[in-house]
Amino acid sequence: MNQQQKSGHDPCVEFIDVGVTKLSPAAMNMVILDRISFTAWQGQITGIIGASGSGKSTLIRLCNRLDDPSAGTIKLNGQNIATIDPLVLRRKVAMVLQKPFMFHGTLLENLQRPFMFRNMTPPSAESQDIARVLDLVQLSREMLQRDARSLSGGEQQRVNLARALVNRPEVLLLDEPTSALDRPSTARLASTLSNICQSEHLAIIVVTHDLYLAEHIVNHLIYLEEGRIKEQGAGAQMLAMPQTNAFSNFLAQPEREQKLSS
Amino acid sequence: MNKPHIIPLDVIQLVYAYALIPLSLGLARLQHIGHEKQLLWSSMRMLFQLIAVGYLLHLVFAINSPLPVVLMLLAMAGFSLQVAGSRIKKRMPNFYRVVGSSIIIGCGGVTFYFCLLVVGYSPWFDPRYLIPLAGMIFGNAMNGASLAAERLSSEMHERREEIECALSLGATSRQSAAEAIRNAYSAALRPTINTMAATGIVALPGMMTGQILSGTEPIIAVRYQIAILCAITGAVAVTSFLIVQQGYRRFFTEAHQLKQE
Repeated sequence: MNQQQKSGHDPCVEFIDVGVTKLSPAAMNMVILDRISFTAWQGQITGIIGASGSGKSTLIRLCNRLDDPSAGTIKLNGQNIATIDPLVLRRKVAMVLQKPFMFHGTLLENLQRPFMFRNMTPPSAESQDIARVLDLVQLSREMLQRDARSLSGGEQQRVNLARALVNRPEVLLLDEPTSALDRPSTARLASTLSNICQSEHLAIIVVTHDLYLAEHIVNHLIYLEEGRIKEQGAGAQMLAMPQTNAFSNFLAQPEREQKLSS
Repeated sequence: MNKPHIIPLDVIQLVYAYALIPLSLGLARLQHIGHEKQLLWSSMRMLFQLIAVGYLLHLVFAINSPLPVVLMLLAMAGFSLQVAGSRIKKRMPNFYRVVGSSIIIGCGGVTFYFCLLVVGYSPWFDPRYLIPLAGMIFGNAMNGASLAAERLSSEMHERREEIECALSLGATSRQSAAEAIRNAYSAALRPTINTMAATGIVALPGMMTGQILSGTEPIIAVRYQIAILCAITGAVAVTSFLIVQQGYRRFFTEAHQLKQE
């Protein structure tokens, strides 16, 4: 029995020997992901870290079937996701894309979008659904009538997060959520994610370059290099004592060394 | 009203008319626009294409049988498709299948509706009516088809983030591409709407002018022009609708995934 099971967390997303190959422009088979196996647990944050082009974003896109794997199986609560209707799956597995995209309209209209996609009556500004997600991401009710595209980068990222949470997902995927944020906004988002993970008992999978997130909120860290898992373990511990040369070399790059010490 | 005297243009008169092309060429060279070769080549193409089609029509009129007329309509549809394809730099997936079937259904359907129900001549294949009317309908619908296909491709490319964001939130392919579909359809219809609004004020349409020159009473020429503009609008609307409705699906998989570019 491993550490997560001992602490009472259930497996939520399981990758079993997952591979992705794509055809290059020269008609050659390129291996993007190779035999990826890991488990993301409910109530925990799993971080995927690695250099650009290591396959991080491809990996996270497989979880809600924005892309399909070429080999292997991905399970959600024990069920192969290939057998789940993608529209149903994407309500259970919400995703926050790297660039916060705001639909035309107010903040409230952006939060109502997921309901409209399901042909449901959208909740009003006074509803419990809206109040819950505003509280989770710490946005004030007074902002609901503001034009979503006029909000700051940090605020838009929060709206993005809130919009993903209105569907009451079981898994939350985040692709480089801090790439456009400064350090104070990153710290605030990290604290928000940590709170959401605990209060909603979600499995969160976050792809990041940001060692701050990896160090402060990630429970289980996975280091990817050229489409393969080179090292995985407890976040802070892995950063303090890397076990493989590959991960040590990744951390030793000057820009990362500086960030880790700051 | 007496049958008016029609002036048949002879070769000398055509040479006088063609003299305006070298004049245009000289002015283009004076302005250094660099399109002189293109202007000359286009004018030569126009000359030979029209002479060829003139003889072809003469032959088809003489045969007066459905097969050559239908073959000519299919050739028109083929050329429309080829021209529409050559105008577009970035084509949608399965471009020729999508646009080809839309042109055949949209233009073909509207042409037969117009010829049989609106004009109501007999026999149905009478080349004197079917070929020129189909030519106008196909030619105008081709512009709409090009605009619809090109705009849909560019919208789908530019709105990739928006579409993936909507898909991630549980939208269907159609819901996620709704804005792209709407903009592409609007772009395809706009020139036809503008043409209808400007007709008779800014310019007299070619068909009406041709009919008046060949001796038709202006009121009858106007009736024909109104009817053909309605047919063109219908053909553009149906063809473009079919293109955007069939076309957007080609960008997605069955699992509501946006295909890689």
